[in-house]
Amino acid sequence: MTDIIPNAAAAGARAGFHPAVALTQPGRVRRLLGLVRRQPLGALGAIVIIVMALAAIFAPYIAPFDPTVGDPASLYQSPNATYWLGTDGFGRDILSRLIYGARVSLVIGFGASLLGVIVGTVIGITSGYIGGWFDTISQRVVDAMLAFPMLLLALALAAVLGSSVRNVIVALAMPIVPRAARIARASTIVLKSTTFIEASRAIGCSNLRTIVHHILPNTFAPLLVIATAYLGLAIVQEAALDYLGAGIQEPQPSWGLMMSGSATSLALVAPWIVLFPGLAISLVVLASNLLGDAIRDVLDPKLQRTSV
Amino acid sequence: MNANGGIDFFPISRRTVLKTGAGSLAAAVALPSMSWAQTPKRGGTLLLSNGGDPPTLDMHQSATYLTEFVGSPCYSTLLRIDPTDINKLVPDLAEKYEVSSDGKSVTFHLHANVEFHNGMPFTADDVVFSLNRIRNPPSGIVSPRKGLLGNVKDVEAKDARTVVVHLNAPQADFPFQVANPYNVIVPRKVVEPLDTSGQGMKRTIVGSGPFKLSQAIDGQLYELVRNEKYFGQKAYLDKIQMFPIKGEAERAAALQSGRIHGCFFFANESVLAGLRNLPNITTLRRPTPTFINLIPNITMKPFDDIRVRQALSLAIDRQAFIKTVGPLAGAFYHSTGLLTPGSPYNLSNEDMKQFAGYDTLPDVGGNIEANRKRAIELLEQVDVPKGFKIVLLARGDIPAFRDSSINIAAQLKMIGLDATVDVRDAGGFYAAETGGQFQCVAHSVAVSGSLPDQLLGEGYTSFGGRNYGNWKDDSLDEAFRAQSREVDPAKRKQLIKDFQVKFLKTYYQINLAWVGYGAAHSKSLKGWNALTDLYANMQMDRVWLDA
Amino acid sequence: MNTYLVQRLATGFVTLFGVALIVFLIMRVIPGDAAVMMSGAGSGVVSEEELQLVRHRLGIDRPLVVQFVDWAGHIAVLDFGTSLRTGNPVIEDIGRRFPYTLQIVVLAMIIAVSVGVPAGVFSAWFADTWIDRTLQTVTIIGLAAPSFWVGLLIILGLVFFFNWSAPLFWEPFWISPLKSMSQLIWPALAVGLRQLALIARMTRSIMREVLGEDYIRTARAKGLSERRVVFRHALWNGALPIITLIGFEIAALFGGLIITETVFSVPGLGQYVVTSILDRDYPAAQGIVLVLAAIVVLGNLTVDLLYGLLDPRTRLQRGARA
Repeated sequence: MTDIIPNAAAAGARAGFHPAVALTQPGRVRRLLGLVRRQPLGALGAIVIIVMALAAIFAPYIAPFDPTVGDPASLYQSPNATYWLGTDGFGRDILSRLIYGARVSLVIGFGASLLGVIVGTVIGITSGYIGGWFDTISQRVVDAMLAFPMLLLALALAAVLGSSVRNVIVALAMPIVPRAARIARASTIVLKSTTFIEASRAIGCSNLRTIVHHILPNTFAPLLVIATAYLGLAIVQEAALDYLGAGIQEPQPSWGLMMSGSATSLALVAPWIVLFPGLAISLVVLASNLLGDAIRDVLDPKLQRTSV
Repeated sequence: MNANGGIDFFPISRRTVLKTGAGSLAAAVALPSMSWAQTPKRGGTLLLSNGGDPPTLDMHQSATYLTEFVGSPCYSTLLRIDPTDINKLVPDLAEKYEVSSDGKSVTFHLHANVEFHNGMPFTADDVVFSLNRIRNPPSGIVSPRKGLLGNVKDVEAKDARTVVVHLNAPQADFPFQVANPYNVIVPRKVVEPLDTSGQGMKRTIVGSGPFKLSQAIDGQLYELVRNEKYFGQKAYLDKIQMFPIKGEAERAAALQSGRIHGCFFFANESVLAGLRNLPNITTLRRPTPTFINLIPNITMKPFDDIRVRQALSLAIDRQAFIKTVGPLAGAFYHSTGLLTPGSPYNLSNEDMKQFAGYDTLPDVGGNIEANRKRAIELLEQVDVPKGFKIVLLARGDIPAFRDSSINIAAQLKMIGLDATVDVRDAGGFYAAETGGQFQCVAHSVAVSGSLPDQLLGEGYTSFGGRNYGNWKDDSLDEAFRAQSREVDPAKRKQLIKDFQVKFLKTYYQINLAWVGYGAAHSKSLKGWNALTDLYANMQMDRVWLDA
Repeated sequence: MNTYLVQRLATGFVTLFGVALIVFLIMRVIPGDAAVMMSGAGSGVVSEEELQLVRHRLGIDRPLVVQFVDWAGHIAVLDFGTSLRTGNPVIEDIGRRFPYTLQIVVLAMIIAVSVGVPAGVFSAWFADTWIDRTLQTVTIIGLAAPSFWVGLLIILGLVFFFNWSAPLFWEPFWISPLKSMSQLIWPALAVGLRQLALIARMTRSIMREVLGEDYIRTARAKGLSERRVVFRHALWNGALPIITLIGFEIAALFGGLIITETVFSVPGLGQYVVTSILDRDYPAAQGIVLVLAAIVVLGNLTVDLLYGLLDPRTRLQRGARA
């Protein structure tokens, strides 16, 4: 994967595609529609994510029931007219819990992905630009972090930091940092040798200016792809943490928590309890993968797709 | 009484206290006694499920049923609780015992020709070692039941078959302290070097019980085989295999499908309910000496003020608590007093009215709205503002802790407190608790027995080991000791009542409900009966398999 | 070639050292040290003095640097210490649990490759037909589904349709291989599904690319049958990226494995490491993480070497590695 990205950056630089420029020029609506027509799947992905985000934001208005209060008279009800997706063992409405659970998953997913990419980018660009011993050391640290299975790192950190939303975001961002750093560094190195940078230095731009004006915009695109790819991953890891009991705790609903507990007994009594949260997760991950693929296609169709 | 009507069992209603000088106990029994229509059959492998891996196999250092279920069949105690009657004791390693006329010495006469599983002979020296290990553990060894033997001055071996225990003061309940299923006798020659190296009996079991440990595979299997050299009546079963299964529903499923014969620990009611109607399975739930208390940290303001603690007690509707937390954690029971439901030492419903908040117990006739109003007034008196933040420390992996805290927080909100629950995993929870880093904690306390010395001693003294709230009150401790050494039954009863009144008036710990654990086994498992205690009668030596 | 090998090995060791350092630090920072857990805090208040005694006995009251050097020194001679929870040597526990994890990994990879590659080839061969589109849809869903959810669904299906129940005792492979396979195939399926989808998609895209390349056209022009063209030339050249993928995916595989073992209650390394972290069992957690990281590093190394061996092009590029 690492050798693809410098191409993207270089391609982006060559093509003069600067997202900031593209979005502020007139005719952007038409450009946007053009994009949608060319990348219907990606647009679909974006729409799904936006819809979920909206549902999460407006949860108190949309959710039919309080997700934490159970009705002892309606335990384990299969989907019916009152409870569209059924109830769980405490009599809580699954649909409401799903909607509120979206808050946890999306906030943590976005937060972790964003934080991880930003921190990783800073480290990667600095590393690639400065080079020398700083580069060597940080690369070894990155290597070490990459050797950790992602879930383990997040699990250990969540145990250290505790189970609040903020701490879980940090815990999940950690495994993303080295991956983003790798990519940012690789593209920085490629860009460093292009004529733009040389020219910029020649006219006396400071390092910082060079980075901000030249390197950053051209790494922006591949990093956006990475951010969407890791959004899906972060959401899955978050659910896994909750499932293990190391993430968000009751009574805050979360998709991972909804699936924890005994699968064996649920299989016979209420399979929908396990079915729907996983479906929700899969949907968000799918959407983010499609979006990531579409973004990559827009940049350089010759690149391999995110999902491969 | 179980709100769900699920109780199959009711605890003893009367008991007579042991008389000094007597060699055995008399007690009034209300329990059904088991009589066998068939002759027990020898042979077979009993398949059981435990709730997980035992954290240690060292009985002295543990207080969890996970260890006790595996260890109990392998060990013997000096005396043992009568499998058919929790108020009676029967001989085990001690054939008989006498109490001196001043009540301060107890002499145990030991069985002859007893061997440990490794062939070593059992002597009085081992008894001395074991009792001392419990009451005065060597460095690095913990002993949760230290307090049970707190009244012991010293233990001496008069000869190879006689042990004399000298007490500081007479203690009516003493023989029961010694009969606690965890207070097993271990071989000095094996354990002493292990203690020095720091291992303790963590991985090994060398006992004198009816079974021997043959395999212990972490995560998979714990296997016991019959001890052919057992000094008592040999067990009927050839083998016992215990599978650690963490999820209650999985255990129920294994039982239902016939792959195990029984499981003696269920907390969740809906799991148990699923087993109740099955024709070939016996299901029961009985109260155990486990209670749920809300414990404020006395060292932290504003909980040092009694009015704040009273407000906490007033805010909580005991019946609503039982209704919600009952099905989740087995907290179906209540008690009018500090002792187990149905204990003859408990106070009356009338008595409970004088304690703030306890009138919401069933049949006492309180009004929760009035209580909560009063709570708000009290808080105002103490200048605790509306919206004051209270964080309840809770442990996430045990429903009794977690779900109690959630319910308590919801109820505390009703008196204007901003109550939230800080749920942590076991490690983080204990770190905070032992460090005193919490405001309030809802703790499910499982004590080692239902007798006053055990229950009150462990749970309600400042030295008993359950003083999570860090209170210190010498007069309470002294009141406890006074009842412990009173030998006249009538006087003692009054002292026990006095103690309870005294303690309840301090609100150091706010009692909410009592927990009873369920058990379920196939009807082909015979010879086991449940006592109102989770740990007693788990030696499995009278159990047999039919077909 | 040799200098390259040595260089890569050296890097690998440095990486492992970094992993050791990181996991050591994390475990020490976790609140609730092992002493609290070990002292049976669940059974009563343990005084600070008692805790200090336990800490001293465990050796965790020494300065961190001393503890780390001590531990690292032991690791160097493969002494992983004693598990605080089970009391067994960590090596023993790992050794007993490793076969189960290994079996799942191997089974998962076999499933992923033996189904994924043909599916990808099929897809490429019938590119843009309904076959292709169906497979594309299926695989992209397979990528999105969390592996532990797939595991839960598998359990649901097995229980509901086949009255299956979780094994009480997981047979070791050398005692009853068939029974052990039949028990472990289900978690392997859950873990392998994502790899399957990945491999299928990658195979497809590689095959499509390769099928358009010059030497394929030459082969066709020479009159070779389509099948020969595809299988002989295209697949062989596409094998390399697939192997690379498998190598790099090992770390991801372990992540899915860890939680899937918990879902199925398999007594493997994954379940062990989760329990160890949650129980603050330092020696065990540190030991296993190191072992897992070592496997990942080894996997990467092997892939790198294979790449170097099989693809002459990369040998030239080696000097320019970023």
